[in-house]
Amino acid sequence: MPAPFLEIKELHKDFGGLTATNSVSFDMGRQEMVGLIGPNGAGKTTLVRLINGILKPDRGKVRFKGKEITGKKAYDIVNLGIASTFQNMRPFRRLPIIANVMVSCLSPRAMKRGEWVKKVEAKAMDALEFAGISDMALEKASTLSQGDLKRLEVARAVATDPELLILDEPFGGLSPAETELMAKSVARLHKGGRFGRLHSEGPAMIIIEHKLQQLMKIVDRIIVLNFGTIIADGTPQQVVEIPEVIEAYLGEGGV
Amino acid sequence: MGLVSAYFRRGWTILRSEVLVLPSRLAVLLFIIALMAVPLFTQDYYILRILILTCIFAIFAASWDLLSGFTGQMNFGHALFFGVAAYVTALLNLDLGFPPYLSIPLGAVGGVLAGLVVGIPCLRLRGSYLALTTLAFPIILTGLVFAMPDITGGELGLSGLSRLTGSRVMDYYLCSSLVVILGFAMWKITDSKTGIILHAIREDEVAVRSSGINTIRYKLLAFCMSGFFAGIAGGLYAHFMRLAGPSTLEVSLSFQVIIWSVFGGMVSIYGPIAGVFILNPLMEVLRVALGNFPSLPEIRMFIFAGLVLVTLLFMPEGLIPWVRDKLENECPRCKLRNVFIRQRCRVCDTSLS
Repeated sequence: MPAPFLEIKELHKDFGGLTATNSVSFDMGRQEMVGLIGPNGAGKTTLVRLINGILKPDRGKVRFKGKEITGKKAYDIVNLGIASTFQNMRPFRRLPIIANVMVSCLSPRAMKRGEWVKKVEAKAMDALEFAGISDMALEKASTLSQGDLKRLEVARAVATDPELLILDEPFGGLSPAETELMAKSVARLHKGGRFGRLHSEGPAMIIIEHKLQQLMKIVDRIIVLNFGTIIADGTPQQVVEIPEVIEAYLGEGGV
Repeated sequence: MGLVSAYFRRGWTILRSEVLVLPSRLAVLLFIIALMAVPLFTQDYYILRILILTCIFAIFAASWDLLSGFTGQMNFGHALFFGVAAYVTALLNLDLGFPPYLSIPLGAVGGVLAGLVVGIPCLRLRGSYLALTTLAFPIILTGLVFAMPDITGGELGLSGLSRLTGSRVMDYYLCSSLVVILGFAMWKITDSKTGIILHAIREDEVAVRSSGINTIRYKLLAFCMSGFFAGIAGGLYAHFMRLAGPSTLEVSLSFQVIIWSVFGGMVSIYGPIAGVFILNPLMEVLRVALGNFPSLPEIRMFIFAGLVLVTLLFMPEGLIPWVRDKLENECPRCKLRNVFIRQRCRVCDTSLS
């Protein structure tokens, strides 16, 4: 049996006395699109930060395509094919938007040797076009609105040409119309066939989101976290009927 | 003949469409011409000496900008690179008899190694902690220099290096052309792909790392490049003054370079160069002009400090960016710069008003 695409085993992280993730384990396939939900402070962001290497776990393992990546440097993990966005956007504010994305395009994974600057620019423009902000490519990032900053974050992650894309609240701060657009383009990205290659596979995705309605439409599996433990794992239809999930979201005696 | 005139016309077209359209580029062209033409008008030893030192310090200031302005690694001990290169150059020249064209590049390699020595412990530091740590290195090295007078000459330093070239005018041409070449090289580095990454590291290092860039490598690269250019300046200084002493490691030199760069405008290689070319000769002019007031010996430092303070009060980004913004407008559509007298953008024809 081949190794699972992403395998998370007993991942544990404490912050002082607070347990952020408590022995979380799950597997994920190459074609999957997973929604990660849970109330505030449930450990969602911590979990993805343990995967993408910004935080180091106290215990447990992360395997990506059968290779152990626990404790590797964040940039090595990106170059293995796991890209992620920040929940609170961190653009390079004094650089033009195109330069923000070009930094990602200059990572060893995205760069093929011997490419000229123009080509890197073209690649960055492609990512910006996907995110829908290519018309503002020369503006400074500090002039962008919240929604456009979200798009910039997504463009930056996409530009590294990932196999697993982790989006931390991609719809946060977007208007309903913008959310709709973003959800559509994320779903299209998952299907694949971009970056000038017609038959490329889209990346697998983990999406953290609070806007459940939109999330339910695009993902095919949802994992619910509460107090650092997984309390539900299944298709969107299954998950919303589990009593613990309803309780975690609406409080005791809710509905 | 037709070929020659065709090349000439082509050159003129490029000059007119790329250089003469913007006051800043025209100013750079005029500056280079003026720099090269100085010995035609005066070959006075004293004036040439001031200009040579100005050229050397201009390279030094630009190298500080490459590290601290662009990459954001605040270096308060930049004199370390200068001093290490000066001493290495002097030792190679005195003990092994290397001529200047070998000892200066090898001295610059010493500067690169110093960059690595400072860079590796400073990788995890940021902001004021980094500034304080870098400040310590030249002081430590000064102590070592005093502790080993057999090798380093102690307080007197190493003197009697061979001359840079045969004559003062040749010295001048060497230094002034190096300022142009190395300044252009540094500007080209900051304008390249590497430059974008250095910019981004200054803005947000964690975000660069999560974009898949090995920031450690790029920060060390910035330290090494900065050490190299500062090292060339240090080697030139040692050979020109024919002396490598503890004064090349002084804290005041480290701060001098910061004052020059901040005055001229950080995060632009030409800013620090212009800052040195304004402030350094000005100090000498003040020395001559105020020579009639022996009762106030240090008033020129007072004037100098006041000038820098007033400049930074009214032009917080530095002198040169301020002047450039007065002379040029940015096109709101294509972000290219235009002369302030133009009504429409020279490329996309958008109205500028």
